[in-house]
Amino acid sequence: MSLWNPAQPLSPRTRTLLGVGAVATVLLLWTVLSGLELVAPNKLPSPWKVASAFAYLAWDGEAGRSLLATATLWSLGRVVAAGLLVMLIGIPIGVLMGASSHINAALSPLVDPFRSAPVVALLPIMVMWFGIGEGMKITFLFLGAVVYLIPMVRDAMQAVPQTYWIATRDLGGSDWECIVKAVLPMAMPRIADAITVAVSVMWTYITVAEYVNAREGLGQLIQNARRFSAMDQVFAGIIVIVALALFTYQGMRWLRARAYDWETGQ
Amino acid sequence: MSDPMNTANISIELRNICQEYPAPNGQAPLRVLDDINLTLDKPSITMLLGPSGCGKSTLLRMMGSVRPLGVPTPTRGEVLINGVPCDGPHDDVVMVFQRYANRPDLTVWDNVAFPFTLKLWRDRFKRTEWQAMVEQALLDVGLSDKKNMRPAQLSGGQNQRVALARALVLRPRILLMDEPFGALDAQTRTETQLLLTELHRTHPCAVVFVTHDVSEALLLGDRVVVLSSQPAKIADDFEISEPRPRSATWRRSSEAVRLEERILDHLHAAGQGQVRITV
Repeated sequence: MSLWNPAQPLSPRTRTLLGVGAVATVLLLWTVLSGLELVAPNKLPSPWKVASAFAYLAWDGEAGRSLLATATLWSLGRVVAAGLLVMLIGIPIGVLMGASSHINAALSPLVDPFRSAPVVALLPIMVMWFGIGEGMKITFLFLGAVVYLIPMVRDAMQAVPQTYWIATRDLGGSDWECIVKAVLPMAMPRIADAITVAVSVMWTYITVAEYVNAREGLGQLIQNARRFSAMDQVFAGIIVIVALALFTYQGMRWLRARAYDWETGQ
Repeated sequence: MSDPMNTANISIELRNICQEYPAPNGQAPLRVLDDINLTLDKPSITMLLGPSGCGKSTLLRMMGSVRPLGVPTPTRGEVLINGVPCDGPHDDVVMVFQRYANRPDLTVWDNVAFPFTLKLWRDRFKRTEWQAMVEQALLDVGLSDKKNMRPAQLSGGQNQRVALARALVLRPRILLMDEPFGALDAQTRTETQLLLTELHRTHPCAVVFVTHDVSEALLLGDRVVVLSSQPAKIADDFEISEPRPRSATWRRSSEAVRLEERILDHLHAAGQGQVRITV
């Protein structure tokens, strides 16, 4: 048993104990801070207030509706729509860039700078160009994620050892077959990683997208709650977004491990 | 592809092959191969030996038309396959490298069947036809029971057999092998050499086999071509009539020992004359 060894195998019991322990410690700290009013309640609501806000948002008995379910479905819908667009447009561009030095040389000055650009700063431009409706929100999410996806897909293609390209060529494959039959399938696990990152990025941008002309969605729910100083609802909304992001992330990791089981241990 | 069993008219002809590489800082270009003339026209195994770095792999790649990027090969001279100048990958020629490029994402079966996913080969065979060829190739190299496994689950020797099966499934009339067993341990190498001997008996084709291992050359070669170094010329070229598989007794015979010394003399002479060039 060694503490400073990243490869040290842990029993499921130890792992769970450490994980639950850390979360419980933070909850305890939170309870103490808010319970003793060391931080003002309008800044840091107590865990049970957040829990009851969560319950209220999940099911409003008086109005007979679930604000949370509606908001979640709206946000989820936007992420799915933008995500499909990102994959439909971003993957082919990244694959082409990774398949050809010429295409890469032409497109990388157009794509690479945006990886470190403040995409949020583009929001006013998005509003001017696309208005304040769904088009703007989805375009914003799309742009925010696609600037990460394209370079990552390109890098995934370039990371495939040249040996596989050459070997396919030797067997009589055309240049295009070398890409489609060898390089692309070998790059798929890392392309799947790129999609996972892109979806995570969209979950971080969803609130920004929904701040403008907020009518529906989790971003609007948080924004609205903040306007009425309902910090407990703000917290509840953030927790839901974090949970959704975590859930999609884990789900995609699981899918990737199943689809590309050959890649582990490479 | 013409009839694979028709091994009568195979020929590889190297005519006045010269290869130069541009030298840095404006010196005269570095000549690697100097006027190589060689004709191979039998379905036999030809071993190509030479000191390391002498250009034997370069020569082999020319026969397979594997062109490195940036440097035109050959600088002068031409390669003729069955009498026709060859300037691109040739259907009758298949190469096997030391680094078996088996695909980790494909099963053993799919690795061997891989050539048939390419248009060139897919157009020539019916599905049932090539599937039977894949089964036969796996049977030939003794991997039928491993066909659903992935390369990562196999040993180095088994992986080299997968690469061999992928080359043989195309029934090539010319098989070029670049130190194919160089990365294997001694025991596995001996087994794989025996397998090659057996495969060559059942599927005769012209094999050109690059090695730096004198023993391997004596065990496998019908003909041994020894290259000198810097620039490489053909230093020696002889035939071995002893049938394969060659026994340990033959390997210790005066004939084999004499041949071994003959090869080693050439290699030592080449080694002494060698000018080390550091770039």
